[in-house]
Amino acid sequence: MSKNEKEPIFSAKNLKYLTSPFSANNPVIVQILGICSALAVTVQLKPAIVMALSVAVVCGFANLVMSLLRNGVPSRIRIIVQLVVIATLVILVDQVLKAFVYDVSKQLSVYVGLIITNCIVMGRVEAFALGSKPWPSFLDGIGNGLGYGLILVIVAFFRELFGAGTLLGFRIIPESIYASEGGFYSNCGIMLFPPMALIIVGCIIWAHRSWHKDLQEK
Amino acid sequence: MNKNSNTYIIVYSVVMVVVVALLLSVTALSLQSRQNANKLNEKKNAILASLSASDKNYDEYITAYAVNADGEKVEADVFAQMEDLKGSFEEGIFPVFEAQDGRVVVPVTGSGLWGPIWGYVALDSDMNTIVGAIFDHSGETPGLGAEIATAKHQAQYVGKQIFEGDEFVSVKLRKGGASQANFAHEVDAISGGTKTSDGVSNMLADSFRNYLPFFAGRRAAAAQDAAAEVEVSNEVNNESNE
Repeated sequence: MSKNEKEPIFSAKNLKYLTSPFSANNPVIVQILGICSALAVTVQLKPAIVMALSVAVVCGFANLVMSLLRNGVPSRIRIIVQLVVIATLVILVDQVLKAFVYDVSKQLSVYVGLIITNCIVMGRVEAFALGSKPWPSFLDGIGNGLGYGLILVIVAFFRELFGAGTLLGFRIIPESIYASEGGFYSNCGIMLFPPMALIIVGCIIWAHRSWHKDLQEK
Repeated sequence: MNKNSNTYIIVYSVVMVVVVALLLSVTALSLQSRQNANKLNEKKNAILASLSASDKNYDEYITAYAVNADGEKVEADVFAQMEDLKGSFEEGIFPVFEAQDGRVVVPVTGSGLWGPIWGYVALDSDMNTIVGAIFDHSGETPGLGAEIATAKHQAQYVGKQIFEGDEFVSVKLRKGGASQANFAHEVDAISGGTKTSDGVSNMLADSFRNYLPFFAGRRAAAAQDAAAEVEVSNEVNNESNE
């Protein structure tokens, strides 16, 4: 507790750990990590949101645990230790969800493997938690998870809207303008396929770098 | 202490593995009964949902039993068989869930594009008309194959017939939409989910085929009942004529 008195838990510095991954240090569009799962779960908005929250939670707690262990981990086997910690966390959470909130666990079951192997989780543990105190590590993990989720949600928004005409399963583009109902519109089928996620991520990176000039590579 | 010495690393890994193994097995064992109860409950709910009777009490409304390849009732623990439905089908034990009103639900199982798909199909008491279908999957692509688990897709099966006269034709998912000529036996396939759609077609045909003797028995019994009723009413008429 004495540490907290020296530095408030939500000091400007700590908040920065939480918020910098949203834009300036975003894991997907700046660090280019976690692209593979971004392709897999962004066909619809709902799985993207579930995945975003799960990764934020796992990333936060993996960072916390590894930061607590950081002084005892032998550096030669640290990657294996990280993997064990992350996998254990994910499986524990999945087991508890299966017992108490079965519906949520069914939603998540497909993504458990994707969460464990998500390079953002390991990337943050390796780059941040092993050299930082627990609380900043936890914030950094949550921040990076949410920063990843933000991109997931943006990509999924465009893919579901133009690929299926719906958002979260609700119809946004009215049935009446579809070609099959006598209108002129039809869904953009390519939106449903993985390459389109890459192209959208590319467009986001383009827009982001035009805005943040300092990120542009010379 | 040298943290990179071999002894330290070996001791560290052994302790870590033992702790993690203990933690995971304690969690798994202590939560197992709750998890199994959830799974059983999910099956019961899916069965009721396929009958559009989610408000009914499963234990009062449904009788579960199993039939063999000749359509005769056999002794079996139905939910234990449901744990491995494919194996149960190969063994020749076919679970049936009969509702009080004579409608029956049969479980179906097959393969989609990425993994197993399964479901429950409820048939009206004529053993021909589908009154409801519930499908689920373990890993079909969201937005494409995974659409089979949506209410919108499942609603299409209601009213479809699995027999043409006395011939078994099953219900097929047709690319490009159900044709007018064969509307009673076809539903729209999922665009972009051709492999999963084919998987559902195969699943329905293969699973129903196991129950054909059972269906035939029930259809014959129903026809006899109908004939008997006609006779009874004829007799009544004769008596009144006399």
